[in-house]
Amino acid sequence: MARDPKHDILFEPIQIGPKTMKNRFYQIPHCNGFGSEKPLNQAHFRAMKAEGGYAAVCTEYCSIHPESDDTHRVSARLWDDDDIKNLGLMCDMLHEHGALAAAELWYGGPHAPCMETRCVPRAPSQIPSDFEHLTYPKEMDKDDIREVQGFYVEAAKRAREAGFDIVYVYGSHSYLPQQFLTPYYNRRTDEYGGSFENRARFWRETIEQVRDAVGDDCAIAVRMSTDMFMGEAGTQLERDCLPFVELVDEIVDVWDINVSGISEWGEDATPSRFYESGRMLPWQKAVKGVSKKPVLGVGRFTSPDLMVEAINDGALDIIATCRPSISDPFLPKKIDEGRLDDIRECIGCNICISRWEIGGPPVICTQNATAGEEYRRGWHPEKFEKAANADNDVLIVGAGPAGMECARVLGERGMRRVHLVESQDDMGGIMRWIPQFPGLGEWGRVVNYRKIQIDKMKNVEFIPNTRLDANGVKSYGAEIVIVATGGYWATDGLNGCTHDTIPGADASQAWCATPEQIMVEGKAVGDKVLIVDNDGYFTGVSLAEKLAEEGKQVTLMTHLGHIAPYMHFTLEAPNMHRKLHKLKVEIVTYQIPTEMAEGKVTSAHVYDEEHLTEWGVDSVVLVTQRRSNEALYRELKDSVGIDALESEGVTGFFRIGDCVAPRLVADCIFDGHRLAREIDSDNPEVPLPFKRERHVVEREAVLA
Amino acid sequence: MKQVAVLGDEVEFTEDERDVDPDYLDFALNEWDSYATEEALRLVEAAGSGEVVVVSVGDEDAEDAMRRCLAMGADRGIRVEAEAQLDPIQVARALAEVIQSESPDLVFAGVQSSDSVQAATGGALAGLLDMPSVAVVTKIELGDGKATANRELEGGLVDVVEVDTPALLTIQTGINEPRYATLRAIKQAEEKEIDVRQPGDLGEPGYRVRKMFVPPKGEGAEMLNGGAAEVAQRIKEIVQERMA
Repeated sequence: MARDPKHDILFEPIQIGPKTMKNRFYQIPHCNGFGSEKPLNQAHFRAMKAEGGYAAVCTEYCSIHPESDDTHRVSARLWDDDDIKNLGLMCDMLHEHGALAAAELWYGGPHAPCMETRCVPRAPSQIPSDFEHLTYPKEMDKDDIREVQGFYVEAAKRAREAGFDIVYVYGSHSYLPQQFLTPYYNRRTDEYGGSFENRARFWRETIEQVRDAVGDDCAIAVRMSTDMFMGEAGTQLERDCLPFVELVDEIVDVWDINVSGISEWGEDATPSRFYESGRMLPWQKAVKGVSKKPVLGVGRFTSPDLMVEAINDGALDIIATCRPSISDPFLPKKIDEGRLDDIRECIGCNICISRWEIGGPPVICTQNATAGEEYRRGWHPEKFEKAANADNDVLIVGAGPAGMECARVLGERGMRRVHLVESQDDMGGIMRWIPQFPGLGEWGRVVNYRKIQIDKMKNVEFIPNTRLDANGVKSYGAEIVIVATGGYWATDGLNGCTHDTIPGADASQAWCATPEQIMVEGKAVGDKVLIVDNDGYFTGVSLAEKLAEEGKQVTLMTHLGHIAPYMHFTLEAPNMHRKLHKLKVEIVTYQIPTEMAEGKVTSAHVYDEEHLTEWGVDSVVLVTQRRSNEALYRELKDSVGIDALESEGVTGFFRIGDCVAPRLVADCIFDGHRLAREIDSDNPEVPLPFKRERHVVEREAVLA
Repeated sequence: MKQVAVLGDEVEFTEDERDVDPDYLDFALNEWDSYATEEALRLVEAAGSGEVVVVSVGDEDAEDAMRRCLAMGADRGIRVEAEAQLDPIQVARALAEVIQSESPDLVFAGVQSSDSVQAATGGALAGLLDMPSVAVVTKIELGDGKATANRELEGGLVDVVEVDTPALLTIQTGINEPRYATLRAIKQAEEKEIDVRQPGDLGEPGYRVRKMFVPPKGEGAEMLNGGAAEVAQRIKEIVQERMA
């Protein structure tokens, strides 16, 4: 198919300083857990986007000096010659695909805890970080300023040597240059603080010095947050940012514009729960109004129509994507080829970001199971090898996230016939009802994408309204049987705090409910509701929001110190707290129910078990823990038996997803994908080892 | 029953502009025929004995769709060899010869095929066989030497008709929930017999396709571009304008 002419503008080249981007698609800096120390993973991960059509691809934040060490979180680093070698591979692989390579030079100031290097970060003023607890910086004198500016220059030279085409002086997310610009961080009274001109001095001088050093060879990019949403204390568009653009526009080649600070950077990397695509366009357009240079920026763009509109409306020149490029590295190519219904759209769940926030683990993606697996497992998001056992027929029982993904990938691998059999009237499993929580509509893209793909495959058939029992599975005629029957919320209060049920908890009673009972069966709850949340992610708070919006008086009780602590990692927490507070949801922490009955719940403080509290409620909702729905699997394995299955011609018998153990949707999709990728291995049940990028010692050499 | 052509997103025509270029087509069992097959299977299962025979006119590729019916549970198939495009009367002539040789108690046809949408074959076949017929059937009760059938009429009306059997009924979608074939049934269907017969004289076609084309876009369509909020706002305005 061919590109729709209305999207042509996205494929026009654009000049940035001494370099030319072949089209308007730019992968914004974003983390992946690989940094400079897993260079093969790093290079293969970034190169996939170049192969997918991106004209420029950036590193994650790239530290310029050991004083900017974000450990436990993983950044790239350009500290020495070995870092040049390691990041140089990424540059070479991007160049092979005709893409430019960009390095986001970063000095974190107080936000970088330096847990590995044990250095002391420097900052405009000695105020501890609002992001990283217990991190105090050294207040910079003028020698410090000159020294740190020198770090930028030396790192820029190393970036050039590595092969980078674009070099950032990165300020957004409250990092050092923007700290100088922002009164919240800069309380200085010398010529680097106070007036706009003084607060802008550090950043301006640094850009000048970096440009003098590498500007003939590299494009100079500046990434700036144009609103921190902190009133007078924060950076402000009119007062600080537009004047700054005017001040340095001559020496900048491309502007990368966003909003937010660091402690609530979910205002920038917006969860779909709270913001739609293109949320920052007004700020980006304001900068473009005063700059003569190209402006780029993110907005979780997945729709080519919206991208075109952003350019035609004069808000952006270059469409930057972060999360949509993880979800589908081939976004540009699919738009170019007019294959819009093949785009695997980002759902804005921020599971990718959660891994950076946790610190350490590689990036994952709910939609794209191959994200982060390009090198270590050799997975390509768009290429599939024909399975060695493709002459087999496959039965998958259950069309939830794991079953759908497994069917899709087995279809791509050319299995003769794949039957995806589902007891409900449509695909989706839990992802049919989770997107009905307030704000989670876009999560439904998990189902839509797979439904469209499966519908196109001649060798995959979806069979709805069919509940197979063990005999039905046994005699179905498949050589490979995969059970993907999902999970369910415990009905008896079983939980990970007490490792026991809650006396009296029983969701078969009218006053007691589980999340599915409310969302799927429409079970009614009374006016005064207690939600018991021992899960700690989106289910409890989403139910609280939904029920409070329906006018219920909601109490949300958890044994944890915070409600929904995982939402801190997905950047959903601040706005979730705001929302529940506005809805007058009562938050109760460090409490676990010890007993419940109709109308009454007793709870204990988790650190003072003697201290009991009584709660008068009409209804209780149990969000205590999930259980695998493994009845069919157990019956097949334990009652029917593997021998009987074999005698019916079944040579492979597996289970995937929540049916094995309840977990993140991203992990269920990975599980289904993994089994399909390895369906022809010696033992598909056990994942093949992946390549571990690590230093291996030569013992003799060390001991000698 | 018929293997029908299914259009993809894009369509190109053959050079003589009389047909769709087969490269742009997929093929499938006609939807109406899956309901007809299911209804036949249910009647035989309820009776406790009997046989369901599927008959189609077409080339060897048409056997894929016939095998879908066999996988659902039909006992055997008969395919009348035909390479060229036939019109519905010619198809009915080809079918009539086979059906006469089988002496069935009931003949089912789909109301229409989803690709050519003539809704003519069933009626023509009843005429050729000189059988009573009922069109657009949504319910069947089988009696002794007769059948009672509900016919779907415009505006939700239902016509209840009694006919003597043998009779020909054209079956409407929604009369039942067609079963899915298990993988085992699909494999077994590959072993079932499809008897291939050569047609007799089918006569000249009564109509010929002169030209096939995509109709030009009419006036009055307004494409709404922009973000969701903008589009929603514009839809609201249009609805308000029209209702004013």
